[in-house]
Amino acid sequence: MAISKVFEGIRIADFAWVGVGPLVSKYLADHGAEVIRIESSVRPEPLRRAPPFANDEPGLDNSGYYADFNSSKKCVSLNLQHPDGVKIAKRIVEHCDIVTESFTPKAMRGWGMTYEDLCEVRADLIMISMPMYGLTGPWSMWQGYGHVLQAAAGISHLTAYPGEEPIGTGVAYTDFLVPHFAASALLAALDHRQRTGEGQNIDFGQMEAAIHATETMVLDYTVNGREQHALGAGHPDFRPYGTYRCAARGDDDDRWIAITVTNDAELAALADVAGESSWTSLEADALDTAIAEWTRSLQAEELMQLLQEAGVAAGVVQTPEDLRNDPQLEHREHYWMLDHPTMGHRAYDGPSFRLSETPAELTKAAPLLGEDNEYVYKDIVGMSDDEYVEHLVSGAFD
Amino acid sequence: MTTQTAAGPLAPFRVIDLTNELGQLAGRMLGDLGAEVIKVEPPGGDESRFIGPFRADVVDPEYSLHWWTFNANKLSATLDLTSIRGQELFTRLLATADFLVETCPPHAASALGLGVERIGASHPRLVHTSITPFGREGPYANWKATDLVGTAMGGLSSMCGAPGRPPIRPTASQGFTQASAQAVVGTLIAHYQRTKSGQGQHVDQSMQEAVTFTHDNATPTWDIRGINNGRPGNGREIGGYKSGQYVYEAADGYVAALSYGGLFGLTARQTIEWLDHHGMAEDLTSDEWLAKLDATQGLLIPPTGEDGDHLNDILVAFCKQFTRAQLVAEAQQIRNGWGVVNTPRDLLENEHLAARDYWTEVEYEEGHVTYPGPWAKLSKTPISIRHRAPRIGEHNFYVYGNLLGISDEEILQMSADGVI
Repeated sequence: MAISKVFEGIRIADFAWVGVGPLVSKYLADHGAEVIRIESSVRPEPLRRAPPFANDEPGLDNSGYYADFNSSKKCVSLNLQHPDGVKIAKRIVEHCDIVTESFTPKAMRGWGMTYEDLCEVRADLIMISMPMYGLTGPWSMWQGYGHVLQAAAGISHLTAYPGEEPIGTGVAYTDFLVPHFAASALLAALDHRQRTGEGQNIDFGQMEAAIHATETMVLDYTVNGREQHALGAGHPDFRPYGTYRCAARGDDDDRWIAITVTNDAELAALADVAGESSWTSLEADALDTAIAEWTRSLQAEELMQLLQEAGVAAGVVQTPEDLRNDPQLEHREHYWMLDHPTMGHRAYDGPSFRLSETPAELTKAAPLLGEDNEYVYKDIVGMSDDEYVEHLVSGAFD
Repeated sequence: MTTQTAAGPLAPFRVIDLTNELGQLAGRMLGDLGAEVIKVEPPGGDESRFIGPFRADVVDPEYSLHWWTFNANKLSATLDLTSIRGQELFTRLLATADFLVETCPPHAASALGLGVERIGASHPRLVHTSITPFGREGPYANWKATDLVGTAMGGLSSMCGAPGRPPIRPTASQGFTQASAQAVVGTLIAHYQRTKSGQGQHVDQSMQEAVTFTHDNATPTWDIRGINNGRPGNGREIGGYKSGQYVYEAADGYVAALSYGGLFGLTARQTIEWLDHHGMAEDLTSDEWLAKLDATQGLLIPPTGEDGDHLNDILVAFCKQFTRAQLVAEAQQIRNGWGVVNTPRDLLENEHLAARDYWTEVEYEEGHVTYPGPWAKLSKTPISIRHRAPRIGEHNFYVYGNLLGISDEEILQMSADGVI
């Protein structure tokens, strides 16, 4: 007997954009929820306009950036600035279990679509708002981006070469961190509704979740009065613990390996693999220099194999290309190849966990803008053909 | 400072937490959501009690701030899982639980009675989550990984640091954080399925694969353009295109701006006016530059070469003249999404977090300790920190007495025998 999908029958009106919101609803879509993205060509979802574009041709239906975050979803176009826009949006919400959004708080207030407003059309609604700084407070109307929020949350302070400027990670890091917290809160609220019938509102301030990714930074300050600092690749308690350049691979001379030692047995094993028994008594800086000289003439992948077989935690600093060829990720079937009408056969990221009985299934590539208008407006909302055409002509679906 | 009394959404459920540093945040998050989390430690204390820093730098298993951070909202029971009696007690304990979260190395799982099939057969309702460096199966399953090896093998380190210099990692373990937080999502998806089917299942979480989530647009960029987003230093790469500088030095620290601070794209004109208001727009008010920057409206990829350098030089000089607070407040007024690069002290003194009542005081015998507060505000079933991290075996009588019905005498005997 086929097991039904986990979230079969759960429908989500997804007003969110860019990274955090779409990545939250992706978790649900890839496990069977019907996620309806509500977008507009008047003010397009920014990621639809962001590279990489298929064939390097910019176009709202051609962004790989957007596509990867929106697998398994449906999409309607709806202009919320149009006189009928909000009315139509509420008619969609009436048929949904969950509303997600990630605007600054004034947007939903301006449209009359706060949690209280939307409860009037759907009493047991679960709504999650995910602005950068939350729904209230002096910064709540501030704009932001994941690359800036990692700085605001203290993560960039801890991501730098020792003593240098706080560069942060090279990605919009919190966009790929806080969705797990938001999804966890949302799933717990969904479970609560399942048991009690009660919906609720979730005020998810991205900054407040991101601070939980700073490990002991807060308590070291509040208990010890100490401000922790960035150590490059390093670790406060362990050495050697770093990245070391390896031999070139072809004409690529940017190959690196992470080698980390957390006890004497591992240090002895490292020394043994290198054939350098003196390493066990070297001072830390000298040992670092010796390791860097040693790795420079070795292939990163081969060295990783040797060290792991000897019981030393080591790993290649893998690039996106390396990951596509990684045997472990291949074993776990991480990448999904999906066909998109304009972008073709493309790789998508699946979730990082495997459920033994109800695993994720990426059922389709990202939706075209407005791809599901007829289905949503007629079959779900219940518009007649005439009404549908009337809204179409008036520009409500722009 | 809030005191919340309403129960969290997972209040009806019990979690057995058998995690090391790789997965401790997962149990903490489930506890924050209201579940009763029982951390099972070996007699003498869990190894993660010896991870620093320590309170007042006193190395003591009850003073690890790592332990305090990740084990608030948990109870502690000691148990020797390597003994037959210990395994028998563990099986009885699991029978009372809804979730098991563990970080057992795959090669050791069977010996400890944590094999997936065995757990599934004896506890079919249980949601059993394994968090391991590479996953429970596959060619790397038995390889070791620290946090740096996780961020390297999962690809994040290849996008952290400066070109030509060693790849780095955040000095707060993101491999562990990502693995734990994503494991909670998987666990709650399995839990939701159980509410419909009555059946539990196994959730196999890999740290390496969790780190691949952090790549921004690197997967489609490689897939479509055959370009690896690399280490951008003080900047970013989008779709294989380098952005401008992101972090600028202010008079009293650093600010994070968009590339070129908004001097290209939608807010270019307002940004020039802002600089001009302070007499620092240089030649950007010229017709030539206005036309040039107007043409960048709607672009996400900034100018490069001489133009980029010129914009950047102007912004570097501008930012040095003002405090972080002034720069960010004024930037936000013209809808440039700048932010302060906050230090720990900045965060604790931050007016916005204070206004939102973010920080939570947690009571220890040694005094109140300020913790980061709830990571989401749920209106009906609030997340909260209900109690401090436990001392070694602090809840043995509750766990073995109240939950398993073992007499006080027998518990004391088990303790004397080294079983608990």
